[in-house]
Amino acid sequence: MKKFSQLAVPYIAWAVMMLIFPMFLMLLYSFTEHGNSIISFSFTLEHYVKFFSDPDFLLILWRSFGIAVKTTIICLLLGYPLAYFIARSSEKIQNILVLCITIPTWINMLVRTYAWIGLLSDGGPFARLLGLFGFEEVELLYTEFAVLLGMVYNFLPFMILQINTSLCKMDQSLLNASADLGATPAQTFWKVTFPLSLPGVINGITLVFLPAISSFFIPKLLGGGQYFLIGNLIENQFITVGEWNFGSAISMIMAVVMMLLMMVVKKLEVRNQGGKEEK
Amino acid sequence: MERKKVIEFRNIAKSFDKQITLKGINLDIYENEFVTLLGPSGCGKTTLLRILGGFLEADEGNIIFDGEEISHKPPYQRELNTVFQKYALFPHLSVYENIAFGLKLKKMSKDVIEQKVMKMLKLIGLEGYENKNTTLLSGGQQQRVAIARALVNEPKVLLLDEPLAALDLKLRKEMQYELKRIQQEVGITFIFVTHDQEEALTMSDKIVVMNGGEIQQVGTPEEIYNEPANRFVANFIGESNILPGVMLDDYKVRFDDITFDCVDYGFKKNEPVDVVIRPEDTDIVPVEQGKMTGEVLSTLFKGVHYEIMVETVPGTSVTVDMRVIHNHEVTSENGKEKINASNFYVDLEDVDKLDDKEIIARSNAMAWSTENDEYISIASIEYDIKPELGSYPVVFSTANGTAVERTVFVVNQPFIKNEKANEAIMAFNFFTTVDEIRESQTLDTDIKTWANAQGWKLSDESQSIDISVDYDFEPENVKEGVYKITFWTTGREFKIHTTDYSEVGQEVGLTFFPEDIHVMSRMTY
Repeated sequence: MKKFSQLAVPYIAWAVMMLIFPMFLMLLYSFTEHGNSIISFSFTLEHYVKFFSDPDFLLILWRSFGIAVKTTIICLLLGYPLAYFIARSSEKIQNILVLCITIPTWINMLVRTYAWIGLLSDGGPFARLLGLFGFEEVELLYTEFAVLLGMVYNFLPFMILQINTSLCKMDQSLLNASADLGATPAQTFWKVTFPLSLPGVINGITLVFLPAISSFFIPKLLGGGQYFLIGNLIENQFITVGEWNFGSAISMIMAVVMMLLMMVVKKLEVRNQGGKEEK
Repeated sequence: MERKKVIEFRNIAKSFDKQITLKGINLDIYENEFVTLLGPSGCGKTTLLRILGGFLEADEGNIIFDGEEISHKPPYQRELNTVFQKYALFPHLSVYENIAFGLKLKKMSKDVIEQKVMKMLKLIGLEGYENKNTTLLSGGQQQRVAIARALVNEPKVLLLDEPLAALDLKLRKEMQYELKRIQQEVGITFIFVTHDQEEALTMSDKIVVMNGGEIQQVGTPEEIYNEPANRFVANFIGESNILPGVMLDDYKVRFDDITFDCVDYGFKKNEPVDVVIRPEDTDIVPVEQGKMTGEVLSTLFKGVHYEIMVETVPGTSVTVDMRVIHNHEVTSENGKEKINASNFYVDLEDVDKLDDKEIIARSNAMAWSTENDEYISIASIEYDIKPELGSYPVVFSTANGTAVERTVFVVNQPFIKNEKANEAIMAFNFFTTVDEIRESQTLDTDIKTWANAQGWKLSDESQSIDISVDYDFEPENVKEGVYKITFWTTGREFKIHTTDYSEVGQEVGLTFFPEDIHVMSRMTY
């Protein structure tokens, strides 16, 4: 057993070097003044104060939160019926459909997002299509709509696959039992199928919400300069402005926000168990 | 008292992928009955239950429930409830919520639901468990919750699909009594599916024995056990001695060359029948008092009784010569391959059945490499064997041309007939070598192959019988020469359950009363 656990040492070393150490550095940066050398630090809370006292920054945070929530809800509303349909198909069709959903993810996200620029641009296929219906000069690209579309498009597969897995795992005899006890198909769905698929729904929400709230290249490409989100703000601070300390502080704030959200989600999951646990 | 029919199956047929599972089932089920559908797996009993529950649709036929045709109703509109094989309790709901599931759907008021659920918990003996998570309950407790969840809806009929299969033996016995008690207390019809004959006999008012998608017999446990309708039922329920016989006249049956009085009638004169005598209905008596006699083959202590096997009809045997001859394998020119085979005998009638595979098996032909002892396949066999008495050459060769020639003798081999035991066996003299005997890992089977020993029923030649082999040499000390090999069958063994001990090898008499003989018509397959 002891020898076995020694096998984990390289991985632990790897994780410390590549994950924990950088995180620690960011934490350190967020609490120190600009221009510190590695040897001498002077601690400060000014970055946090700066973030929370400037309404522009709070607006960006709020906007990011809003678009992530919208993305998640749209993904859930689109993804659940699709996942349900896939789970109900025969095994052969199931495999084909799951493949269809996975194939786009084999191509780089950035490339696929660039493709949308062409599709949405003025004189692009979508604009022309709208033109046929008499909607002339509709701005598609560089709007909130474009950002939302890009996010839903990129993150929808995560939602579908998670929900589909939990639906496929479900015991068919539970549905028979529900029908046997007098539940119509709709009642069976709301009383048995949906509650039992909740773990998949929660996983799906997590997997969509987290990348959505911190995404920076989708708003950058599809939102142009006009649709600024928290991810863009962080990127800006690090790359353009060179304010590593302020960028680190925003990252830490985001990390805390996400952690809190995860805790809420975990609570939801526990409540999904019937009855009380053995004391 | 005329009882009311609750369910009528009318000519229900169902097939899956062209495989017929139910072949036109007709069955009536009455009020307040404990009915068991009994049969081996794949007999269609679960399919019938699923059709009744509405989870499958029959290809043909109707189901009448309480005077109303329900064949095309979905499950949620049928006034019956099911206890599923693996319980199918909702894992996201507590014990209370599981049981209340059906009642909540009916929009009953909260206090009525609570009253009913509590009453059910009391009935199944799980008071105080209402808030427990169902996944944390033991198998037996989950089982009870599943029963309560179904019963609380007050169905007219409760369907139980092998509900005890997943429980251990002791718990299963407990639940058998428990189920019977619950059924009597609530007073509704239970339709219970099982493959366990003991379970069926213990609990049922009526047993429906099924096999191959057909009903074999319907009756009370006593009727099914004492008067099995056919060989299948007799075999499936309890232990039995089944003997082929002839019904000479009403109340007269002849089997094993003896005519017995019996209580059965209504057969055709001289109709071939199957006779069942239960092991516990037979007694062992001194030879001179026995209706049948035989030799005790084995005595097994079973706790309450001894299980004694008596050979009432001696078996059949045939003795042949085994010629152990000098090894005469052929080595290839370059010395890398060896090939060997033996001469063999074949019956005139079997000549046309000879093919390459059969000839290799019978001659025990093999080729191997001298370098690594690996087997080499025999690439070609040349022969021209005519269906006439005589000897014919066979040449075996490998792909590299290493060849050996052997002789096949076509003979007219008589077989040994045993009319009384309804069997015949035959075997041939054969050739083999010291090495083949020493290297054989399954010598008895190999000897049977080399001698082409076979046995069959006289009444049905396609039905083969088991043959044992006896020889008096030690495989590791065998030398060239001629050995006697005897092939034999066990005769008719009669199983007896008795509390008296009998010595193995003893000659004993067997006796039974005329009413212990049950005559059944022969099954036609």
